[in-house]
Amino acid sequence: VSVVLSEISPQRWRSSTRLIGVFVASLVVFALLLVANGADPIAGYRAMWSSITRDSSAFGDVLIRTVPYLLGALAVIVPARAGLFNIGGEGQLLLGAIGAMWIANVLDQSLPRGVTLLLMAFVAMLLAGAWAALAAALRLVAGTNEAISTLLLNYLATLLLGWLVFGPWKDPASTGFPRTRPFETGESMPMLFGRVHIGVAIAVPVTVLVWAALRYTAWGFQLTVLGQNPEAARRAGFRTGALSLSALALGGALAGLGGMLQTSGVESNLRPGIMSGYGFTAVLAAWMVRQSPIKAMGSAFLLAAIAIGGNGLKIREGLSAASVNILMAIILLAVLGWGTRQKKEAS
Amino acid sequence: VIEAIAVGAVRGGTSVVFAGVGETIAERSGVIYLGCEGSMLVGALTAYAVGIETGSPWLGALAAVVTGLLLALLHGLLVIHRGANQIATGLAITFLGLGATALFGQSYVSQGVQPFEPWAIPGLSQIPFLGNVLFDHDPLTYLSFVVAPAAWWFLFRTGPGLRIRAAGERPEVLGTMGVEATRSRWLALAIAGGMSGLGGAQLATAFTRTWSENMVAGRGFIAVALVIFAAWNPIQIVAGAYLFSGAVAFELQLQARGSDISIFLLDAIPYLVVIVVLSLLSRARRHAAPESLAAVFQHQVSTT
Repeated sequence: VSVVLSEISPQRWRSSTRLIGVFVASLVVFALLLVANGADPIAGYRAMWSSITRDSSAFGDVLIRTVPYLLGALAVIVPARAGLFNIGGEGQLLLGAIGAMWIANVLDQSLPRGVTLLLMAFVAMLLAGAWAALAAALRLVAGTNEAISTLLLNYLATLLLGWLVFGPWKDPASTGFPRTRPFETGESMPMLFGRVHIGVAIAVPVTVLVWAALRYTAWGFQLTVLGQNPEAARRAGFRTGALSLSALALGGALAGLGGMLQTSGVESNLRPGIMSGYGFTAVLAAWMVRQSPIKAMGSAFLLAAIAIGGNGLKIREGLSAASVNILMAIILLAVLGWGTRQKKEAS
Repeated sequence: VIEAIAVGAVRGGTSVVFAGVGETIAERSGVIYLGCEGSMLVGALTAYAVGIETGSPWLGALAAVVTGLLLALLHGLLVIHRGANQIATGLAITFLGLGATALFGQSYVSQGVQPFEPWAIPGLSQIPFLGNVLFDHDPLTYLSFVVAPAAWWFLFRTGPGLRIRAAGERPEVLGTMGVEATRSRWLALAIAGGMSGLGGAQLATAFTRTWSENMVAGRGFIAVALVIFAAWNPIQIVAGAYLFSGAVAFELQLQARGSDISIFLLDAIPYLVVIVVLSLLSRARRHAAPESLAAVFQHQVSTT
């Protein structure tokens, strides 16, 4: 232990105490807002805490929510390496879900479970990757800003899902609340324990893989150069267009995998409002850790805990579950503004 | 039918006009404000809540300007003062607005507000077609008619406007003249926040006349997209806003006429229109962008 401790530099100590300070300050601000709304902040935090620690299934809920947040964060991180803003995680998650249900419908349980799931994941990634690549193509061909186009594509994805759920894919058995047919056993993620599906065990190695690809491959290096200095990348003869396209497509594909895992592992069917806000939360998760894939596991887990805590706030305190968006936003703002000691000086 | 679409375009586009013109001014100073959506939400709830508590939509609109502005100042604190990334900060600001309005708005969800009533202008509103389209609206919509020309005049014909544009193009030049670019950016951002708040007020107390969670539904983001479409010119924002809301009105007319096309596909029309038009114009607009805005996409505000 002493060796490990001695290896931690003073700066690192300072920056972690700083992060803790930022986190505590965010909790205080959120508490003040609860007070301003006439709610009891202690009871609020207690409700949030108990809804994530009540029992193993509550903790499991946090774990499984981490999966779409983490893969959605990677969808932000990979393009960011190339200097691209992907704010389309919301839509890319949905395209993944749509791809998964589409293949489930096509195969109709004609293949073994493992093969079915692999094909579902593959097509989910393909579809979501293509959806994101659309934004890259618009940028390359027409010069459309990808932050804006990915953002607008979210609304189209939501409407596409609505059309499918109310139209061609509507389960005749669903009355009142339209939804698709459920994923059958042969189309659902196997469980690790309780409600925790194996997607949790998939997301972690995928994250490590992304980290390694960004860090150790020529592709990752070229992306970084492109992001840091596009002019240098061009002069070095990198195929910048293909790089941009690949970064956004891979990002979209990762979000698509997240959408597939979430629907096949947790939601059990497709309906309007599914995974709403997950993509935006994932953007927060990515920025909270300055685009580090490994650290994103931590931020995605933290945000998942807050989101599940929000359910407790709703059930026990009668507050809107979306209230916890405040806490998420304040933490990110605090990290962006005060997470590092020095104000970033522009060159 | 055309008249109904035109009326809908103007009435529904007003909130986007306010937000888009404000956003134009902010971006002219070199600051991109994605929190525009959040300011609109906060403005919408403020106008609604204050309207209910005081019975006056005017006080509501005034309060909406203030809260929309305060949220924008938080953006300024981060990006201007602390040098944080603009896109990430703007999104977080929108998230904050979403959460805060969900928390504070819950008790107002099913309450009715005293709305802005339309003021038909005597005489003018009797003109066939144009009367209904232009002269039979709520007062905030009339205000939106003058806001774009006023913003143009402000940006291109006044000292503060010149300094805002200089801050967006060449902050270092301002620096050599002993003027701080940051001051102009604060001003521009405050205007953007206030106008987004006002847009939200029009939405909640004149257009929909209800409050519901996340009711702005992307109009603030549309406003940000329209700024590029409008080549950072406040006059052209109006055209963009009416194009978007006209597409919405067109799609509503189709629905009302019992078209058998799915409403979800129809709802996609306005967004498709914005993406397509934006893509068609993006190349041509490239040179219209304020120069230091490019720095935004290299992760921070350029400072002198």
